[in-house]
Order: sequence, then C-alpha cells, then structure tokens
Amino acid sequence: MQTHEQAELHGGGVADHIHPEPQTFVRKYIFSIDHKIIGLQYIITGFVFFILAGLLAEVIRAQMMHATGGVVDSNTYDEIYSVHGSAMVWLVVIPLLTGGFGNFVFPLQIGARDVAFPWLNMLSFWIFPPAGLMLFASFLMGAPQAGWTEYPPMSLQGQAGTSMWCAAIFLVGVSSTLTGINFLVTILKMRAPGMTFTRMPLFVWAQFATAPLLMIATTALAGALAALFMERQFGVPFFDPTKGGSPVLWQHMFWFYSHPAVYIMILPAFGMISEIFPTFTRKPIFGYKMIAFSSVAIALLGFMVWAHHMFTSGLAPWLQLPFMLLTMVIAIPTGIKIFSWVTTLWGGKIQFTTAMLFAIGFIATFTFGGITGVFLSAVPFDLHAHGTYFIVAHLHYVLVGGSLMGILAGMHYWFPKMSGRMLSEKVGRWTFWLFFIGFNGTFLPMHWQGLMGMPRRVAQYDPQFQGVNQFESYASVVMTIALLLFFYNVLWSLRHGKKAGPNPWGARTLEWQIPSPPHYYNFKHVPTVFAAPYDFAEPLPYTGLEDELTDSPGPQPASSSSS
Amino acid sequence: MAVASIAQHDEHQGVDRLYAETRDLRLQGFLLFLVSDIVLFSSFIFAYLYLRNSGQGFPPPGIGRLDVAFAAYNSMVLFGSGCTMHYALENWKHGNFNKYAGCLIATIVLGLMFLGGQGYEYHSLIVNDHVTWSGSGIFGASFFTLTGMHGFHVFVGVCYLSILLLQSVHGVYTKQKFFGLTAGTLYWHFVDVIWVVLFSIFYLI
Amino acid sequence: MHLDTIVIEKTVAAIGSVIVFAVAAFALKNDWKTPGIENQVFKIMLGLLALGGIIAFFAGIGVLGNFPKGA
Repeated sequence: MQTHEQAELHGGGVADHIHPEPQTFVRKYIFSIDHKIIGLQYIITGFVFFILAGLLAEVIRAQMMHATGGVVDSNTYDEIYSVHGSAMVWLVVIPLLTGGFGNFVFPLQIGARDVAFPWLNMLSFWIFPPAGLMLFASFLMGAPQAGWTEYPPMSLQGQAGTSMWCAAIFLVGVSSTLTGINFLVTILKMRAPGMTFTRMPLFVWAQFATAPLLMIATTALAGALAALFMERQFGVPFFDPTKGGSPVLWQHMFWFYSHPAVYIMILPAFGMISEIFPTFTRKPIFGYKMIAFSSVAIALLGFMVWAHHMFTSGLAPWLQLPFMLLTMVIAIPTGIKIFSWVTTLWGGKIQFTTAMLFAIGFIATFTFGGITGVFLSAVPFDLHAHGTYFIVAHLHYVLVGGSLMGILAGMHYWFPKMSGRMLSEKVGRWTFWLFFIGFNGTFLPMHWQGLMGMPRRVAQYDPQFQGVNQFESYASVVMTIALLLFFYNVLWSLRHGKKAGPNPWGARTLEWQIPSPPHYYNFKHVPTVFAAPYDFAEPLPYTGLEDELTDSPGPQPASSSSS
Repeated sequence: MAVASIAQHDEHQGVDRLYAETRDLRLQGFLLFLVSDIVLFSSFIFAYLYLRNSGQGFPPPGIGRLDVAFAAYNSMVLFGSGCTMHYALENWKHGNFNKYAGCLIATIVLGLMFLGGQGYEYHSLIVNDHVTWSGSGIFGASFFTLTGMHGFHVFVGVCYLSILLLQSVHGVYTKQKFFGLTAGTLYWHFVDVIWVVLFSIFYLI
Repeated sequence: MHLDTIVIEKTVAAIGSVIVFAVAAFALKNDWKTPGIENQVFKIMLGLLALGGIIAFFAGIGVLGNFPKGA
C-alpha cells in the first residue's frame, strides 16, 4: 500500500497528466474535451430530446382518448410511436445515463483528471445531436412506422424516413461504442493509487459493467441497421423472404443488441441508487460485493436472453426453453441488488431528500416492472401477452419507473456538484409525488388492458377500453406537470438556488471532496485510496485531499510526451 | 497492478514512465476497438450462416461455384503480407530502418495485390457468372457484403500503413516510441484473421 | 498436366502456405517468451496466421473446398 509521499514521488501516472486550461469560449463550452463539460452537454441535449419525445407521447395519449378516430390518422400515429420509442431509447435514456452521468461523475469518483481518450469523448458527444436531429427530421420525409423495432417486411416497405432512422441510429451507435471503449479503458487504467476494484464506488462498477455492453452490443446493432439500409436502398436481400431472406434474421440481429441495450439503460441507474442509499441512510451499503458482482453477472447474462422477445416468431420449442430459463435466471442478480438496497435502509437514519424519494420510488416501481418481466419470461404467458398493452406496461415500469426515476434521482443528487447550487427541496417534493402518482396512474391500468386483449401500436381500439384509456391520459398530464416542475426547478435554481458547498449531503465518495463545481483539473493532487467509501463509522479513506478546498493554485500542465 | 509492472519493465529499458502508461492506454483502447470490429463482422457472419442454413442449397442452383483455387492463391498473398508486416515491426524494434521499410513496402504491395485479386474475382463473378450484390438472392448478398466489408478494411489498412511509412520516414517514431507501428501491425493481423474466417466459410464449407 | 490457371493458383497456394506456416511458426517460436499484452495478441494472431496457412494448404491440394467437378 503506497503512502501519499510515495504516490507523490512516482506521481499518479497517467491519472496525473494535466492538459492546459482552455481559454476561449468555444474551447471551454462548445468543443470541450473536459469530461465534465461533455457530461453536461449530454445531459442538456438528452433532456431536449426527452421533451421532444415526451411531446410525442402526449400526442399518443391524446389519440388514445377516443377509441375510434382521434387526433391523427393511423399512419401518422404509427410514425409517432415509432419515433417516440426510438428517441427515448437512443436519444434520451442511453445518452443521459452513460454519456451524461457516466462522463461527469465516474472519473471524479476514481480520482482521475479525465477519461482515457478525451478527444474521442468529444467526438462521441458531437455525433449525438446531429444524429438525433436526423431522427426527428425523418418526419419531413415520412418517419418510420414499424415501431422502434422496425421489423421487416414492414420496415422494408417503409417510407424514406426509415432509411434516415437506420442512419441516425447507426451514428448514435458509433457514439455509444466509442464511449464504451473510452469508459472501459478509463476504469481499467486510470483509477487513483490504492483504488483496487473492491474499493471502487458502486456507480463505477455499474459503468464498468455497462461499458462492454456499449462496446459489443451496439456494434451488433450497427450490423443489423447496415443490412436493413442496404436492403432498402440497394435491394440487397437479407430479410425479404421472397428473395431468400428471413424476417426472423432481423429479429435475431436486432434483439441481440436491444436486449443488452435495456441493461445499458438500467445498470447505471442501479449504480446511482447504490450511491444515494448509503448517503441518505448514513450506513454502509449492504452487500457491496454482491451488488458489484451481480452488475457484472447481469451484463453477461444480458447477452444470452435476446430471443425472449421472439417467442411468437416461430422459434422451435427447444430453442425457446433455454431463453426462458436464462431470462428467469437474470432475475436473481437483480433480486440480490434489490434485497441489498432494502437491507441498507434497515436501521438507517433516513433523510428523505428528493433524491432519496426518487431512489425509494425506484425500488418500488422498478421491482414491479421486474416482476412483470419474470411473468413474461414464461413462454406460455408471453404467447398471450406479447404485442399487448401488458408489454407496454412492463416496459414503461422498468424504463420510466426504473431508468427515468434513476435519472431524476441522480439529477437531484448531483445537481449541486454540477452547478454549485442546490435544487429546491420543496419543488422537488411536489415533483416526486406528482410524478409518482401520475406515472402509476398512466401505466398501472395498462397491465389489465393488455391481458384483456388491447393490442399495442393501434390508433383505434375496441371501445370497451376507452374509459381506462381516458383515465391514463389524464394521469399522464399529471406526470407532465411534474416534469415541467422539475425543469422549472433546474432553471430557477441555476440562478437563484442556495449555494452548495463541496459536500451538501455529507457523502463519502471522491467527487464530494472537491469544490462544486470542480475545477477543470478535478484534483490538485490525485488522492490515494485505502478502503471502499461507504463505511460511515470510519474517517474518510483517502490521503492527499488536504489542499482541495483551499485557495492554493492548481497544478501546472505537464509537458506531454507522445508517439 | 498491471500498469506498474509494464511501467517498471519499460523503465528498465530507459523509457519514461508517462509514455509507457499513455501507450498502455492507447493499446488497450485499440484492442477494444478491434474487438468491436470483430463483433461487427460476427453479426454479418451470423446472418450469412443463418440464411445459408435456411435450406436452399448453397450456392443456389444456376449460380457458378466460387473459385476456390484463386481465393486460395489470393489468401497466400494476404497471409504473406501478414508475415512481411510482422518482420517490418521486428526490424523496427531492432533498429534496422532499411529492412523495416522494405518489409513495410512489401506489405503494402501485397495488400494492394490482394485488393486487385478481389477486384478480379468480383469482375469475374459479376460479368461471367452474373452473380450480383442485389440480384442473386442471399448468396450474392452475403458474399459481396462480407468480402466487401473485408476489402474495405484492407483498403483502410493499406492507407494506414502508407501513412505510417511516410511518418516513419519523417522521424515521428523512435526506437522506444512507436505505438503507431504497433497499432498498424495489430490492425493488419486482424484483417488477416478475418480473412481466414471468411475464406473458410465461403470457399471451403 | 497442362498449365491452366487453376493449376498455377493451386500450386501457389500449396507452396505459399507452407512458407507462410513456416514463417509464422518460426516467429512464434522466437517470440514465445516476450511479455506484455501486445506481444500476447501478436502471438495469438501469428497462431491464427499459421492456421490460415494450414487451411490454405489443404485448399491448394484440393482436399478442402467446394471445387467445381474436374478441377
């Protein structure tokens, strides 16, 4: 174990290499290679796309108010839910969780000055807004209409916007893959001296489990999208059965990515919950190693279950069985985490800050969604529920009740670190309760709707479902109001929020030991780490942080050597 | 930890530690990039094997057989370039600039010959056998897509190696600091390995 | 046998693959003990190159491969 003096003599290695501070506005805030700025850029862009995709959702709810004839015709409705789904998955949740929070938080948590490849990081970000605009621009030439899953043959016959969709998602996929490589190398190589894997914060473990998914799964999607694009534009037969292709092939290729994608969308949120719970219960997280290893287990198992989206596609029963079993198995590491979190609460001195409220709400709604997932893993049940509103309910419980609640929890937790100001707790409380009530009102009844036979992706439906649909639409307005309150909170607090010190929550991970917002160089001296951060009974397990909150000048840029 | 041991090893050889660690980062990043590229090829290889397995006889009746002999010859050209590339790097590490340059030029020439061979084969398939990318069912689709992707990677590799040659002539790399050359060699071997797989699944089985 | 193209190609393949295999095996033997991750990757790649040589050899002598009848 190195002492601080030894660490100074040998330096922090790569983690100690400092680039000179950018001077111009453009290099500081637009084309920045600083992971913190890039993280904020992802967050802002992600929330902009969230508003756009959310508006599409409200059009969906408006259409669902009336069983026959609504606000838009069927073709437009198809376009709307297709872009809504695609945008939420690829332009909102994944960028926010990986590019946004991943970029901003975890390099600070491992005591690094930046990620391994800062220029690549900037490239990853700057691919994202144009790709997103490309997706929304597809409305101008006939947006995709076959859902976010774009199954052939329908996607083969789709309007020009479907090809735009292929190109846009391909680009976003490139951005994701590069981010995955960047994060993986950063975590493997740039941790502070003394920070072994079992001394890493759990948010870093979460990003560590997600990075290989980003890297490997996303490239598989790129292959599928390229094939679809080539078939649509050049007539190259992969999926058209009249030319020898197979529509089921698309499903295999697509879901081989898209199932790991849902784990990309939840693992970072799990990591956030693991950070928030100890801080607001003043207790060590229960089962640190279990949570860490189950993240890795979920990532690995996530590659083996894709065909559970294809139980109605004519797969042979001998093929369906292992996928069913593996899907059930994946519930085990997830359950281990849930139990660990709940046990963390036990006997703790809980502070019900807004972040904590969202985190506890996450446990409730995500667990609910996870349980419906276990229902769906059983082939006989899935044969009945596939393509119905039961699936819509399940996916929104895990993605909104899970990922989005995690994002909101993370925003309320890390906003002081990012901006130097506190969000209003009062507005936050209103946000949480309105959101929680609105969310459950919108999506809970969908379970019954689906089981009673309402299919998904339909612009008109059987009038027996009209009452419940109208209820859901009203509830979605409550959810929208909650989100508007959230945005108002953010914008107002940026100007008028109470100034936050370095550590308003009294947390123990490294990002809270430096000023808010951090200097561009993050740490004056790279600290040395002696233990995992969650043991509230002990003093902080770091040395070398004495200077961080003083006015002393920052470190000077080192002369670089390269080639 | 791994960083420390590699750094110590290099310090032993007079390389400064910071360089050793940045090189380590870039090496790992580059290897991960190659892994993701393997996944890209794998997804198309899966598609090809899946489609071929859907039972239509392969190649479908009416389409000529692929020219295995020519492909075997062309493979030798590519594998040969893998050998010359290996020796280029070895020569660089031992400080023999002239032999290094000779081997690197040989690699580039062999790479171009491989591309020429692919071009000849494509021409023969399209003009003589009437096998096209879009008009020959899944055979044309998978063959041209996969070998085309591979050929594109070879082309990028040839460009990359040419740039490395120019850079090394201009003294960008030293006997201690030559990560670009390492990366180029790894990429070239990767292209070779992909070809082993493609050759086996298209021409041999 | 008269020398049409296919015979030349197969000969080049058969002889060339022996050379490639020999070079790859020789390089592997020399560099077997080098440490460091890029050397491990090179050794794997050299091994696969050697495998490629073996496969190409069998293609060159006509044992492996979908040759049209009579070639």
